[in-house]
Amino acid sequence: MSDTIVELSHVTKRFGDFTAVRDLSFALTRGSILGFLGPNGAGKTTTLRMMLGILPPDEGTIRVLGKSIGEVRERIGYLPEERGLYKRMRADAAIAYLATLKGMNRADALVKARKLLDGFGLGEFQRVRIEGLSKGMAQKVQLLSAVVHDPEFVILDEPFSGLDPVNQTELEAFIRNLAAEGKTILFSTHTMQHAERLCDRLVILAKGSKRFEGTLDEARGLLPRRARLAAETDLSFLTSVPGVERVTAPGAGSPYWTIDLREGDDGRALLAACFDRKVPLTHFDVAPPSLFDVFVSLVGQAHAEEAVAA
Amino acid sequence: MTMHRTFLIARQEFIKYVTRRGFLISILMFPLWIVVVAVVPQLTSGNDSPRILTVVDQTGGSYREAIRNAIGRDNESRNLAAIAHYSGGFIDLSKLAPVTAQMLAHPDTQASRRAFENMGGLDAVRAQIAAHMKPNAPGFTEPMPRYIYAEPPPGLARNPNPKNIGAALRTEGPSEIDAVVVVPPGFGPGAPEAAFWSNAPRGGLKEFVDNALSDALRLAAIRAVAPNVSDNVMLTDGADLESHSPAHADGSSNAFDQGVPIALAVILFVVSVMNSSVLLQGVVEEKSTRMIEVLLSCATPREITTGKLVGVIAVAITTLLIWGLVLLAMMLLASHETVTLAMSSLRAIATLDTVPLLLLFFLCGLLIYGSLFLAIGSMANSLADAQSLLGPSMLILMLPNLMIAGVMANPNGPLATGLSWVPIYTPFFMMLRIASHPPAWQLWGTATLAIVTTILMIIWTGRVFANNVLTTERPPALGQLIGRLLRRK
Repeated sequence: MSDTIVELSHVTKRFGDFTAVRDLSFALTRGSILGFLGPNGAGKTTTLRMMLGILPPDEGTIRVLGKSIGEVRERIGYLPEERGLYKRMRADAAIAYLATLKGMNRADALVKARKLLDGFGLGEFQRVRIEGLSKGMAQKVQLLSAVVHDPEFVILDEPFSGLDPVNQTELEAFIRNLAAEGKTILFSTHTMQHAERLCDRLVILAKGSKRFEGTLDEARGLLPRRARLAAETDLSFLTSVPGVERVTAPGAGSPYWTIDLREGDDGRALLAACFDRKVPLTHFDVAPPSLFDVFVSLVGQAHAEEAVAA
Repeated sequence: MTMHRTFLIARQEFIKYVTRRGFLISILMFPLWIVVVAVVPQLTSGNDSPRILTVVDQTGGSYREAIRNAIGRDNESRNLAAIAHYSGGFIDLSKLAPVTAQMLAHPDTQASRRAFENMGGLDAVRAQIAAHMKPNAPGFTEPMPRYIYAEPPPGLARNPNPKNIGAALRTEGPSEIDAVVVVPPGFGPGAPEAAFWSNAPRGGLKEFVDNALSDALRLAAIRAVAPNVSDNVMLTDGADLESHSPAHADGSSNAFDQGVPIALAVILFVVSVMNSSVLLQGVVEEKSTRMIEVLLSCATPREITTGKLVGVIAVAITTLLIWGLVLLAMMLLASHETVTLAMSSLRAIATLDTVPLLLLFFLCGLLIYGSLFLAIGSMANSLADAQSLLGPSMLILMLPNLMIAGVMANPNGPLATGLSWVPIYTPFFMMLRIASHPPAWQLWGTATLAIVTTILMIIWTGRVFANNVLTTERPPALGQLIGRLLRRK
């Protein structure tokens, strides 16, 4: 059995004169969780729709589970960004209906739907119409609709959108469980914390083009490390220390000076310079950049490139 | 395309529509509609007060008598029709004298009217049938006369000038006069005209007077050459010309033969538009709730559009079945005779030869209209958007309804034939014409055209649906719309 679940090769999608996705290639292996990141309008949803066969690519090829999408539609689960269910359907019937469209027989689908609803604490609402559920409950029903047929590959478009922190945590656990069962997960988000906590790999998109593909560590390696120092004296002299890229004074209400280090620098020279000058430091740490920093850097760069091209 | 997914979508559409309140209302509206269209006018006409007429005859009185006699004959005809209708429901005709039974079975013939007069009119016939009434038969209600003659007020009789006529005519209240007829001295062909005065002529009163005076003039002309001719010539009677059709060679009535095809075609239009509108609303709703995206992740656009159309056909057939049963029940409540007449006409039209074609045209019409509405729904983001696209479409779709009279006047004439070959109208007009036995080449040619049009419409709808159903922009302008409709991808 091949380990590659999804493979996009030089995929381009245009809407009239606008290129929504440009020459996009990436692959996804079995059992992994891929974070598909990008700002609004980056082309994430268009890419997901192409992976589901909802939109055809203008150029390039997409293989899912080793086949064309039409052949494996029933083995994919999908949670769209904007949730949609028939409001007048009962919760269990709504899940079962979508499961039957994915190949399950109705009786099995209803049993499975009720079991899933029970597992998510919605047992007593299984015969309630969707319009009678709270937004959070309806989102859960939608999520269960995406996985009720036991798909091998699950696409979640902005799954955390609109959920409260408790439900977000619950969803994170659910996604981890799906991966642990051997399912392959791709989820799009522009909330970096979820991607940092869940993903094995990341693809960052901006302006329709891929800006990054790799692991979280590889993403963090794109930017130099950053030191944070606290002292009661002026630290602006640190700009002359070798390996220092930039020194930023504390903002209002913050005691921390932020020192951007050059690539490969570990901050030891910085600490040595403070000792030499006998600066009384109350805090010192050196940390890799956050995914947020990497994201802003990559996306900002894309915007800058577009501005130059314009 | 997976038939299973198409079936599942069709079943879901069917359940979704038949469980809506709107479906129940449409089912209930039909009998109400029948009552409004068919029963209320009858009830109100029955309750209409008689029109009161006076005649100032300045020739000596012969024309006044002619009008009074015509009113008498009209009343007798109405009495005969009413007692015949009553007898049809509550009297065992086989137990009556053959002449009486024949008269009551065919009250519209001249012979029956003469027989009624000879028997002594309504009271005599009521006496004859009284012994043969079925148990629990309700009492007979004598019909109200349409017209009543009243003598003119003395002032008006002396001087029928506009002022006196105006004073005599009804302004309000039941006892006043509806119309004044003034017959001038020397009235006749090429002589001074008679005058008909009325504030608001109703119930064909002017035509009635016109006919009565014409009959009187004809009788006068006949008497000029044959002075002994009797007053009982009954010139108001027409020839008894009974219509026959090979389809009714068994002697069954063809009274509804014209009405049934019109009813079928109108029902096609009503059912198509009603269900297609629901289809359109459903698609707009799925777009606005983004349900459509979930469906597209499970099925292809072709499976979705086909499933939706099949679902609509199922709803339409269910609607028709329920309406048919309701109609049958209402006709049974009205009279057995109506059911017999309607069934006889339906049998004459729906023969073994025509039933497959009727069904084909009906399904094609439904699919053509449904496809069009589905395409419109996929281009709209809201019902307001849909309305802006629907308005012009409805003007085009309504056109056949305006042509019914023209087509039925000559169902195999050039107009009817030409309209039958306009692809989107073919099902409608062929359902109208099928009872008129159009030439075989037209039947099969239009059937082929309807099938081809339907297939092309379904393919086109699938394309429009796939191109537009995920867009959230405003509905296109006309130029963009044509571009979108023709775009391949």
